[in-house]
Amino acid sequence: MKTQLVHIGTIGKPHGVRGLVHLHPCVENPKDLEKYGELVDDRGERWTISWQSGKVAALYDSQKKRIDDRNAVEKLTNRKLYIPRNLLPEPEEEEFYFSDLIGLQAKIRHEDQSEELFGTVHIVHDYGAGVSLEIKRDQGENALIPFTKICVPEIDIKSGWLLICPPNEVEVRPSNTKDQS
Amino acid sequence: MARSVWKGPFVDGYLLKKAEAARASGRNDVIKIWSRRSTILPQFVGLVFGVYNGHKFLPVQVSENMVGHKFGEFSPTRTYNGHAADKKAKRS
Repeated sequence: MKTQLVHIGTIGKPHGVRGLVHLHPCVENPKDLEKYGELVDDRGERWTISWQSGKVAALYDSQKKRIDDRNAVEKLTNRKLYIPRNLLPEPEEEEFYFSDLIGLQAKIRHEDQSEELFGTVHIVHDYGAGVSLEIKRDQGENALIPFTKICVPEIDIKSGWLLICPPNEVEVRPSNTKDQS
Repeated sequence: MARSVWKGPFVDGYLLKKAEAARASGRNDVIKIWSRRSTILPQFVGLVFGVYNGHKFLPVQVSENMVGHKFGEFSPTRTYNGHAADKKAKRS
C-alpha cells in the first residue's frame, strides 16, 4: 500500500553563500519541521532541516551531510517537502486534518436510503467563522457546505467518503428591500 | 470610535427580517447575503449566513464572539493559497 504523503513545506531561494535556504513551511508550528526528521521531496530525495534564523534553514542530505554550497541549494529551489501522513499526531474526537478531508467523496442519501455521489471535497475553508467544505461537482458549480454535524453527519476517512446533507439556501437580495418593507 | 454611539450599529433592515424568519422556521438554512457591510447582531447568533465575496457565498456560522464585527470580515475577497497541512477542522 502506498504511503500517503502530506505537503509540509517548500524550499525557497538561497540565502547567502553558505548553503542556507529560505524555507516556506505549510505547518502551524514551523519548529515541527525539525521534529519530523527526514523529509521527502518530490523527486524522492530525503532531507533534514535545521532552522537558523527566521525562515532560513540549513539542509542536510540523507547521509546527514550539510549542504554548504549556494549553487547546490539553488538547484533545489521550489522543491516541495513531504512527510508520511502517519507521522502527524492523531486528532481528537470530532477533529479532522484538512489534508484528510481533501479528496474524500461526498455522497448524499435519499429518503429510500440509496446513496448518490455528489462530488469530491476540493478545498477546506476556515476564515474564523466555522469550517466549510467546497465540493467540486462533475457538472455545475461547486457547492459550499458548512462543516457541522447536521450538514456532514457521517465521515469515513479510511473508506474515503463522507455523507452530506446540503442545507436549503435562502437568498436575500438587496433589491428586495422595497418589497419587504 | 468610528461611528457615533447614538446611531447604533449599522445593519441592512432586510437581514433582520430574514434572520427572524429563519430562526422561527427552525430549519438549517444558509441565508445568502450580499450585505458585507452589516454589523453582526446578537439576534444572528447560531444562524448560518452565506456571505458573498465577489465570487462565492462562504458559509459563516455566527457565534457570540463575532457580535459587533461586520459580515465581510469573515469572507475574504482575496485568493488564499491554502491552510497549514497539519491544520485540523473541528466539526461543530
